[in-house]
Amino acid sequence: MPPAEPVAAVPSDAALIAAWQGGDEQAAAELVRRHARALARFLGASGSGGRGDADVDDLVQETFIRAFRAIGQFRGQCRFRTWLMTIGGNVLKDAYRKARRTRVVPLAEELRDTEGDPHEHAVAGEMEARLAAGLERLPRMQRDVFLLRAQQGLEYEEIAAALGTTPGAARVHFHHAVKRLKEQLA
Amino acid sequence: MNDHELEKLAQRLGARAAERLDVEATAQAVIERLRAERAAGARIGLWLPRQWLRIAAALVIVVGGGAVALRIMHTPSPTVASAPADLDGLSTDQLRQVLDGVEQSDAHVVVSVQDVSLDDLNTVELRALLESLEG
Repeated sequence: MPPAEPVAAVPSDAALIAAWQGGDEQAAAELVRRHARALARFLGASGSGGRGDADVDDLVQETFIRAFRAIGQFRGQCRFRTWLMTIGGNVLKDAYRKARRTRVVPLAEELRDTEGDPHEHAVAGEMEARLAAGLERLPRMQRDVFLLRAQQGLEYEEIAAALGTTPGAARVHFHHAVKRLKEQLA
Repeated sequence: MNDHELEKLAQRLGARAAERLDVEATAQAVIERLRAERAAGARIGLWLPRQWLRIAAALVIVVGGGAVALRIMHTPSPTVASAPADLDGLSTDQLRQVLDGVEQSDAHVVVSVQDVSLDDLNTVELRALLESLEG
């Protein structure tokens, strides 16, 4: 029986963070590769600063930059990905503020999307658009809790640790968010 | 819509943005920016000590020079007209006039109103100024 090949160890987020703090750029790049899509989903769902999907790339980049600048403040109170999303929430807030000042009018989704049947896209995206609009109207805490729970599948304990609240309060925020979103989608 | 349907919908939200994201390009862009920030930080770190030294040296020169200049400007200039160098050629009356002049100069503090404000004068100086104005 041939000897089993050694399994390449996948470094943990904590190990990559420590390596980055020691000056290893590839560790930072690996963290981006590992979490960028989940972050893009979170930011895209949150409305990407009122400017549409086209700017999600910029928001993702900005979130990582801020996260790496403040990496010393990450003490493992929650997962790195969850911490990233809370930073993403702050980046979004700033983007909303800028968007209000610059008044960029986003193209309608069906006009921007060049792939597939535009009509199909429009119908399929209608509910998503209404949900996205509903999310934008929610208070930030409710929106973040809802997305971290419903979209990212996190436990209330993890959400509470990331957002600096209690699991009970996070649960209440989630239920308020669900109630308001249902009213808006009805 | 029930809770489950709402969660499914939420999970689809942002999926298109995530699919479109060029992860590798994002990683490279982030690294480039971090590298640029570190380089800028290092440049500032090198620049600051040298510049601070120059600024400190310039301050010492300006403040020190200013203090010396002020001291020179405020040194009281002699108010007594010097006596003629050669007194041998003077008559008795002329010598008396010179002596009177010296005595008067000693008795009066000469204050120029243009040089100082009244606030800068003490009681003696104010009195001397009043006397000089009265003639």
